[in-house]
Amino acid sequence: MMMIIVDEVIEHIFDFITSHKDRNSVSLVCKSWYKIERYSRQRVFIGNCYSISPERLIARFPGLKSLTLKGKPHFADFNLVPHDWGGFLDPWIKAFAKNRIGLEELRLKRMVVSDESLELLSKSFVNFKSLILVSCEGFTTDGLAAIAANCRNLRELDLQENEVDDHRGHWLSCFPESCTSLVSLNFACLKGEINLAALERLVARSPNLKSLRLNRSVPLDTLQKLLMRAPQLLDLGTGSYVHDPSSEAYNELKASIQKCKSIRSLSGFLEVAPRCMAAIYPICANLTFLNLSYAAGLHGNALTKLIQHCNKLQRLWILDCIGDKGLGVVASTCKELQELRVFPSDPYGAGNAAVTEEGLVLISAGCPKLNSLLYFCQQMTNAALITVAKNCPNFIRFRLCTLDPTKPDPVTNLPLDEGFGAIVQSCKGLKRLSLSGLLTDQVFLYIGMYAEQLEMLSIAFAGESDKGMLYVLNGCKKLRKLEIRDCPFGNAALLEDVGKYETMRSLWMSSCEVTLGACKTLAEKMPRLKVELINDSDQMEFNLDDDQKVEKMYLYRSVVGHREDAPEFVWIL
Amino acid sequence: MGRASSSSSSSIESSSNHFAFSSSKASSSSQRDLSTDLRLGLSISTSPSFPREQQSDWPPIKPLLRQALAEDENECNSATFFVKVYMEGIPIGRKLNLLAHQSYYDLIRTLENMFTTNIIWAEAEVDGDHYEKYHVLTYEDKEGDWMMVGDVPWE
Repeated sequence: MMMIIVDEVIEHIFDFITSHKDRNSVSLVCKSWYKIERYSRQRVFIGNCYSISPERLIARFPGLKSLTLKGKPHFADFNLVPHDWGGFLDPWIKAFAKNRIGLEELRLKRMVVSDESLELLSKSFVNFKSLILVSCEGFTTDGLAAIAANCRNLRELDLQENEVDDHRGHWLSCFPESCTSLVSLNFACLKGEINLAALERLVARSPNLKSLRLNRSVPLDTLQKLLMRAPQLLDLGTGSYVHDPSSEAYNELKASIQKCKSIRSLSGFLEVAPRCMAAIYPICANLTFLNLSYAAGLHGNALTKLIQHCNKLQRLWILDCIGDKGLGVVASTCKELQELRVFPSDPYGAGNAAVTEEGLVLISAGCPKLNSLLYFCQQMTNAALITVAKNCPNFIRFRLCTLDPTKPDPVTNLPLDEGFGAIVQSCKGLKRLSLSGLLTDQVFLYIGMYAEQLEMLSIAFAGESDKGMLYVLNGCKKLRKLEIRDCPFGNAALLEDVGKYETMRSLWMSSCEVTLGACKTLAEKMPRLKVELINDSDQMEFNLDDDQKVEKMYLYRSVVGHREDAPEFVWIL
Repeated sequence: MGRASSSSSSSIESSSNHFAFSSSKASSSSQRDLSTDLRLGLSISTSPSFPREQQSDWPPIKPLLRQALAEDENECNSATFFVKVYMEGIPIGRKLNLLAHQSYYDLIRTLENMFTTNIIWAEAEVDGDHYEKYHVLTYEDKEGDWMMVGDVPWE
């Protein structure tokens, strides 16, 4: 007797398989499963928008409802990629609209989004619910007005750290009175004024609102009114948090905040009066995420007092003005801490950061659950890193940045090879690593040997020779993204194992020793790799000498042809 | 830092705000240079051994954060740095522009006029007979300790 499992049953089973990785695996089992999987797939993740075309995507997944799309390489965050390099949303939206894709959710990172695309988006997809834009650019508040006006079922409009041209129009007023479905609204990155009365009315008619992040133009008394309307909030980002603590408005705020017993996540304080922080204390014990990375006005006692109330904190983002001592307070208060990010408060890195290895050691001793770190500091020692590695073997993400990028261990004057070696050896689950300080090829030997789960590696001003890069390429089997700047890695390292790059999403090398000739060789050998040479946008001419060192090279695997939208300062070999 | 919020939110700040002369941590790094307090924005920043200065690609932080922090720095480079000074027993503090003064002597003279008292600070000569009429001028440093004004060089 044979048991036949009908397609519908398999499809039903696939409904329970949600992770992208698993669904991808499932689709490779056999033709039948491939077919069932592709018709039932609703969510797709595309890590590099140029690895595939919209048409191919639609052809394979006609039932697409939710798409995550990433554009520019990560180093674009640090001004290493000229604007207009690429990553345009437009062709995707046009293709989806044309093919009547039932798009409901769109999450974009480092893409160029025009007002026209936003308008087309707002008019083409009846069930569109969620728009999340992270580190994008190219649009204005006019585009937001279109989204507000036309997306009848909008649940989520989440703008995270985008560069938006604020026309100070009334985009917020464009949400119709009939729009009552908002769950999440984040416009913290907008620079302009908004219509406060419209905001109040919008919040008042959004009973499902769970997440609200305001921009700097929203004053404290409006915040109070909003909290009165939305005590059910889970996530709050304040706008300007400045007022006279002896005023009536402030007392009313205190009362309103106390009613917000559900707030678990707090951010904002883009402008802050330290003496008003006491109003926050009543809800601190509930917080799991606190983001003070824009709160430059908060430090010293006001800061540590606030943190002392936050004993359930799991994620903390802070500026380095907290100091080593302040980190000690975090270490003794926040026993549940999993993620810590300490940003430099001096953007030019010319001064002295207020945290050193001492703060990090204190944290590692006090917070054993720590698994994710981003730490900008004045200096680091091998001893400290070795201690941290021992205290916290669970790191998944470990990113360190000494403000002087080639600074050795100040105690021993040695490179930080041993310290980072200890980290990779101890943290067996490490997926993401950023190195800093004086580093030789030795650290890469350790990384190649021990960092078995490493997926993303960022290197700047490190290493001595091609051997360094080779250790990594040969050793890290799960490597997906490698980004390198200002390192002495050259052609030998680049060309040793060209097949490796097809197992990776992308490789970035800038200000290294790689020459034009080597890039050409690579491009010739590997047609499915796109090798892009990027000049600065005012420099259209490429030096055609094969021995000329390449300033910026970005290579990525792709199943489609060369992109046709590259500007003149990009040469695709 | 403190200076930024002082200039933007005038009357709210208490004297517990850091002045230019808040001392760096007594303990730690020998690399701390007490005389260059960057928070005033006036000092000469020690340029790093690393040749790139004022590059917008280092340290690696996102442009929006960089802008926000730079704006903060710019606010401090203007010629005002207001602090509020409270006299014991009087709840209302008086606002004062530190940068309008050239030295501690200058500052003390202004304060003595403002509060009609005699002020004891690091270099004051105390006349024992008039002790009851003196007030000690203190400030709260980064660690929350109250320090007598005048120990750290004016600059």
